Amino acid sequence: EDALLPAPQNISILSTNMKHFLTWSPVIVQGETVRYSVEFQGEYEREYANESWIPICECSLITATVCNITEDISATVAYNLRVRADVGARRSEWGTLKGFFNRITTSLTPPLMKVIADGYHLLVELEDMGPAFQFCVLYWKKGQESRMQQKVVKEVGSVVHLDTMEAGPEYCVKAQTYVEAINRSSSFSQTQCVRAQGGRSMWL
Amino acid sequence: TAGNKIFHFGSCRISVSVTEIRSGFAAIKANIQARDPIRTLSILSYPHSLHKVKSSDRCCITYQLFNFYVDKVFKHCKTEDSYVNRKISSIANSFLSVKRKLGQCHEQNKCMCGQESTEKFKQILANYEGLNVTSAAIKSLGELDILLDWME
Repeated sequence: EDALLPAPQNISILSTNMKHFLTWSPVIVQGETVRYSVEFQGEYEREYANESWIPICECSLITATVCNITEDISATVAYNLRVRADVGARRSEWGTLKGFFNRITTSLTPPLMKVIADGYHLLVELEDMGPAFQFCVLYWKKGQESRMQQKVVKEVGSVVHLDTMEAGPEYCVKAQTYVEAINRSSSFSQTQCVRAQGGRSMWL
Repeated sequence: TAGNKIFHFGSCRISVSVTEIRSGFAAIKANIQARDPIRTLSILSYPHSLHKVKSSDRCCITYQLFNFYVDKVFKHCKTEDSYVNRKISSIANSFLSVKRKLGQCHEQNKCMCGQESTEKFKQILANYEGLNVTSAAIKSLGELDILLDWME
């Protein structure tokens, strides 16, 4: 087997909100289409299965230089990842991610949130970020931050009712995500404030 | 649901991503159980169901079972189907993560093993060793939902 083909370089992980992507720099071979294959190895494979590697078939012989590995990174353990290149019968050595990847390091962004005043009802609509996500919603009457209230939202299906407002004062809301699998939270979203208007939705 | 569940075994408290394990298992359950011709035999439930285990012994039997699956079962379940292998890997790595947490409880004497759990686990091992290793491993994997149902 001819291994003159250089191994893929600059292998790295982009992981945001529990979605994990492996990326690498393209291997350039003039006039040829280079294809790539990705494999992963969890802590289980390293310690109990002879350091075996498992191919990701959606990323076998692909031309893209990115692979969605989210489905395979499904435990909070350290994973190894590697990529190799193929051009016709020529095949490179494996390029391996420097260091391990553990999903506990994913970056968590504040949730998209829409606060609605539906008559005297204070409602919030939250972005559906997948089953791993819960939300902590804080709401308070403007100026009375010390009497802030909290609601934990475990399932995002519909609009969440937070409170019944009095006419006049503004009510403010902010939210953060929480991922129990890694026991981490995002920072809070921007605060949004609304005021009850008898019967009409009011957006400030 | 958010997917994780907190299990309280006396003073041992662990978080388990049950939904992830269940979804991984559900994806391959039919495939795995189809590879197990002897459906009348059970590894986990013979002669008595796990439900017979006293609550004081639940932590220890859970700890022993996670060790059993990580140490003995998963490695003998490799198939020719790479999708199935990927799902087994995801379950195995989740089990390893839980095994570690239970191991910490065990080291801190929060997961004590009584006579009953020791006997029950001996029975499970005897059931397992009564079959050839691949059949026993595939059957054990096929019974994963019995373990998860009992835990929940």
